[in-house]
Amino acid sequence: MKADQRTLLFAAVFGTICAVILTAVGRLTAPYRAVNEKAEELRNYLAALGVPLEADASPAALIGAFEKNVKVTTNGTSVLYAYIPQGRTEPVSLAVPLAGMGLWGPVKGVLALEPDETTILGLRFYQQEETPGLSGEIGSAWFTSKFKGKKIESSDGRAGFRIVKPGTQTDENSVDGITGATMTSDRIQAILSQAAQQLVSERRKRHGR
Amino acid sequence: MADNSKHASCGGCRGKCKETMKSGIAANNPVLTQAIGVCSVLAVTTKLENSLVMGIAVIVTTSLSCLFMSLLRTITPPRIRMIVEIAIIAVFVICFDQILKAVYWDMSKQLGPYVGLIITNCIVMGRLEAFALQNPPLLSFVDGLSNGIGYALILAVVGFVRELLGSGTLFGVAVLPASVYQTNLLFVLAPGAFFTMGLLIWIINALKPKTAEASH
Repeated sequence: MKADQRTLLFAAVFGTICAVILTAVGRLTAPYRAVNEKAEELRNYLAALGVPLEADASPAALIGAFEKNVKVTTNGTSVLYAYIPQGRTEPVSLAVPLAGMGLWGPVKGVLALEPDETTILGLRFYQQEETPGLSGEIGSAWFTSKFKGKKIESSDGRAGFRIVKPGTQTDENSVDGITGATMTSDRIQAILSQAAQQLVSERRKRHGR
Repeated sequence: MADNSKHASCGGCRGKCKETMKSGIAANNPVLTQAIGVCSVLAVTTKLENSLVMGIAVIVTTSLSCLFMSLLRTITPPRIRMIVEIAIIAVFVICFDQILKAVYWDMSKQLGPYVGLIITNCIVMGRLEAFALQNPPLLSFVDGLSNGIGYALILAVVGFVRELLGSGTLFGVAVLPASVYQTNLLFVLAPGAFFTMGLLIWIINALKPKTAEASH
């Protein structure tokens, strides 16, 4: 009985100490992590939209550039970011957020389009927990640059996007996936297709077809 | 367990520390000899830089958790000692992960979930169970340090070979020009790590003096 009490007491004290340490470190680093995360998000939006940026822009500079150049509107149920450079009235590029599940964790990204709302201008993934060096490469430029100029609608009018097996013939509606990362590619394809369908259906609603 | 070094002379203590230090890096290297902690060796060694940061994370975690476990070893109730071990490891790993996210954002993105997975790395738990529970704090710290370094060295070597042969780069800088060297995807993928590690173990065993083998 005595030993049981000692065990309980030890566990309670020890657990409390651990909790206090973790909370303290979490609290101390929280502002830095939040700034890093926000800056990362903005940098990706700005880069995808084609806003000129310095490579090592500070978080404050990123926020400034975002507020000056990007207009946030809604497109049906989702958010639409429009890049309107100073002195212009029409947007030169549009962007929508991408979100969904990857293989190991949530994937967040941004899809930028030409003003025609069909042609892909840029694609970025800024939050993902895929296998480093393998499917984690979805965040790398060599992969995302393949999407530039592709369309979110197939030639026969179906909204969506396909990521096919490397080596397969690609068309204006598909790109090669990453070898050894089929599971991630499938999920990215689903995330992209969902965004594409939403964009195309909103455009058709607005323009009648 | 006997608390030898407390009674031994300072020279004896230093000798023991030296011996412990050597053991984890060479004779008892966790990856090469005991073949534990292999999971993360396969996962994060695609790039040299990732390997180094991961190695540092494991050195910090193993040495500090060995130190603290050893400090608590006399007052920890035996029935919950494993839970206590895991909790100590988890505290250090989570702190490291949070700090990495705050100051070295790009690396934290690259390593993804693997920093968190140090908690389940058998090297850390193994050293706590096998060594820190029976030995004084300083010696346990040295033991953790040496095993961490032993692990980090292997990680660095495997990372070096894989990045060089897989991507033709070192620390992200192109070393083998694309015109001369055709990059080899095999080394980027997991089998590359198996081959590299297998060859490494083979070479080390071949170089080892025969007497060390006989004494086992």
